[in-house]
Amino acid sequence: MATTTATVGITSADLTPGMSLGISATTTLYQTGTTTGLELVDIGAGKLTQASGADALHEALGTADTTNWVYICNNSTNVEQYMKIGIHETIIGNLGSGEWLWMPWNMGDGDAEINIEAEASGEIPYEYAIFKSTYTLPAKT
Amino acid sequence: MATTNASINIRSNITSNPITISKTMTMKKFQSSIGLEETSGLRFKKFAAVTETVVIEQDEFTSTKGCKVYMRNTGTNPAEFFYVAKHASAAASDTDGETIGKLYAGDWMLIPYLADVNITVAPSTTNNMTLEYMVFAE
Repeated sequence: MATTTATVGITSADLTPGMSLGISATTTLYQTGTTTGLELVDIGAGKLTQASGADALHEALGTADTTNWVYICNNSTNVEQYMKIGIHETIIGNLGSGEWLWMPWNMGDGDAEINIEAEASGEIPYEYAIFKSTYTLPAKT
Repeated sequence: MATTNASINIRSNITSNPITISKTMTMKKFQSSIGLEETSGLRFKKFAAVTETVVIEQDEFTSTKGCKVYMRNTGTNPAEFFYVAKHASAAASDTDGETIGKLYAGDWMLIPYLADVNITVAPSTTNNMTLEYMVFAE
């Protein structure tokens, strides 16, 4: 059985005056509702341009309503460049330069693809990893 | 200007070559190098019903484009989870909004949040469950 862990640390000495902030948490990624580790992963990197509009980073081709995890990092160093991160028609948020996200994704239905879109001019380099409970490869053309 | 840093470390042996991802970011205002300066504070909310509940309201924040949301299911039962949605309801699949995903026991998330719609959670059980969460805003 594969083991995948994700650890977060959030710190700030001055966000809340007089009180330093320190959050730390670790989780092990399991298949839906079990204690069996996830065994499927897609990892990659790419470059995104504004002209390409919104693109599907990953289609919801696994079993609906399952446990899946998404990591995306905007590797741009230009503060004007950000990525819109969405699930189908809903924009979750804007990922600024140098920022990353870690998000559960239940593939609620077949339309619940993860999509990304670049804003501001130039190329945005990004990287991603998607850990999945199940997945069906797209049919050949 | 406040400085808030967040790090992630992912380790996995799914592939024959071990996967290690390690990143640190400073949470910044939208299209800016200035750090986020507002926060909801760290909140803990207990649940004992499966009713959908708004935990983050969009109008809490005046600047909507650079927010971040941290959430964690503090539970230990691997069968119990929270649905997290960007909508007034939370379920397996929504037609009007979007269910993001499920936070099982110990799971955490840190996502950017375009504060145009509320964030809602729905526990999977009537057993006592606790959600830990925090919003970072401009």
